[in-house]
Amino acid sequence: MKTQRSADIESGIFLAVLGIVILAASARITGGLEERLPPRTLPYTMGFFVLFGGVLLAIKGWRYKGENPPINWPDRKGMRHVLVTLISLTVYLALIEPVGMPIATTLYIAFSVWYLQKGRYRILCAAATGILSGAVVFYLFMQFLELSFPAGILQP
Amino acid sequence: MLFSWDYLLHGFVTACTWQNLLWATVGCLIGTLIGVLPGIGPSSGIAILLPLTTILPPTSAIIMMAAIYYGAMYGGSTTAIVVNIPGEASSVPTALDGYAMARQGRAGPALAIAAISSFVAGTLSLVGLTFFAPVLANFALAFGPPEYFALMFMGLSLIISLSGRALLKGVISMALGLTASLIGQNPLTGAARLTFGSIDMMAGINFISVIIGLFAISEIMINVEHSIDLMYDTKTLDWMPKWRDIKRCIGAMLRSTGIGFFLGLLPGCAPAVTTFVAYDVEKRVSKHPEEFGKGAIEGVAAPEGANNATTSGGFVPLFAFGLPTGPALAVLLGGLMMYGLQPGPMLFKQNPQFVWAVIASMYIGNIILLVLNLPLVGMWARIALIPFPVLGPLIILFSVIGAYSIRFMLFDVWVALIFGVIGYAMRKLGFPIAPMVLATVLASMLETSLQQSLLISQGSPLIFFTHPIAVIFMGLAFLSIIRGIWVQIKTRAPEVAVEDEEG
Repeated sequence: MKTQRSADIESGIFLAVLGIVILAASARITGGLEERLPPRTLPYTMGFFVLFGGVLLAIKGWRYKGENPPINWPDRKGMRHVLVTLISLTVYLALIEPVGMPIATTLYIAFSVWYLQKGRYRILCAAATGILSGAVVFYLFMQFLELSFPAGILQP
Repeated sequence: MLFSWDYLLHGFVTACTWQNLLWATVGCLIGTLIGVLPGIGPSSGIAILLPLTTILPPTSAIIMMAAIYYGAMYGGSTTAIVVNIPGEASSVPTALDGYAMARQGRAGPALAIAAISSFVAGTLSLVGLTFFAPVLANFALAFGPPEYFALMFMGLSLIISLSGRALLKGVISMALGLTASLIGQNPLTGAARLTFGSIDMMAGINFISVIIGLFAISEIMINVEHSIDLMYDTKTLDWMPKWRDIKRCIGAMLRSTGIGFFLGLLPGCAPAVTTFVAYDVEKRVSKHPEEFGKGAIEGVAAPEGANNATTSGGFVPLFAFGLPTGPALAVLLGGLMMYGLQPGPMLFKQNPQFVWAVIASMYIGNIILLVLNLPLVGMWARIALIPFPVLGPLIILFSVIGAYSIRFMLFDVWVALIFGVIGYAMRKLGFPIAPMVLATVLASMLETSLQQSLLISQGSPLIFFTHPIAVIFMGLAFLSIIRGIWVQIKTRAPEVAVEDEEG
């Protein structure tokens, strides 16, 4: 997917496959056939839209012969940053229920600030931001506003 | 519902007591903060603070709650403009041009025009509420399921203008958004659809998670690619709009007031719908439609005006029939009933002092909101001066809090993360994001009204072409679709979304 044209062709094929998956999943919806609008009608319609939309996009991309701008993908370092951000966010979400929102937040913010920050004081800055964020989650959202976030190991 | 100058003047006298002014100011402040903090929308904000207002007399309590409501409706635009996080669906159109303006160093004018437009539209629609409420309330009752379906269908046709030069990708984006919204239980029959056996997916996908993922999380992913110090260049920061900016927005403010107010009268027609309609109308009437999506100031004024006008419009059916037009007003209705006040035609006869004091306080509240928020513009715009290595993770944190607070399910946060990745890929590949958002916002009401209409007509789709109001909306939708397809056929260019045209 280096250029817009190849991206259109490949994403069109992917969407066509996704459309088939939606159609297959729609076929498994049961019940309500006697209704005016059976529950599978709209999912079927959307499946067809995605399938034909994908096919049309791929054909349009394939037939297109004009200006073909490159896709602005990140370089290796940029891709590493994106992946680390995604992995750390996934770990954060996985930790929310077992260790609790305040502690998971402290760990996530501290790590992310440390990873993205440059300069001499990055450890200090990361630790301070992390602890402050965890405290805000705990005192403002959980204690003051009484939002029921998972407390995890802080559960009394 | 009778109007009388005496009642209105008496209402102003009651609303202008120092206690009521104080509670209106406190309500506006808290409301703005609620709006700025993602996750705590107006409905949860009012619900959380409802018990606290029991220490106040009924009139002061309702004045404060109404102020929280319209303060929160305004506050949602701040994060949409400064950091591209629309905490509410109604702020999505604001983010399209507001964030583009912020990237050009014009966050200040965008925030200020949002405040001014909110004030103008809020005040003008209050005039409508004051003088024409009985007639307008009947307009709301003329809407049945076929009219709602036609209105939602017309709303869906807005994807044509939201897609820019990428109509096919816009349609695919819409279809994916609608498919995502169909996951879970059928709203009328309860049949499980596309859940793949997962219990979490039975609850369905909430559109706020989709918005948070598509906008906030994907924005952070785009920004972390480059080792940047600030989210955008802040060397040339304008603080206030110039006179020519305001002059350019006057038409947008007036048009959006009309759209927001009249559509706001309809139960279920949330600001999320009216802001998109106002944005689309403004783009169509603009002399520079090509600037929309790239930082057109009318693109901020129109949705913000419509948002506040819808807020005021919603009070008409609430007061006249006790009919809340959205979740936040339903909570407010609960507040009214908590104080032994039963909204409906008798409310104006039995408690005129109360009703007119609340209406008068809303005029004053709009002024307070403007006076409070214009000086705060500089402070909010300075959020962009926080170094990105700190601001980026904090945006993610608020996104997580926002997604989790919808239904207090971790599933919603995972959905936001997945849509963050989808949004990132869509932005890279030139797929427009706004049609997907619009589809997820409209899906539930579109499907429910379609099912109800077909039940009424015993399966005949002709019902949408025999009701006069429905015919008008369907006609407008088909015109918009035909025009979009015609333009697409004439333009032989690669499919690239509006928001990605500048690379």
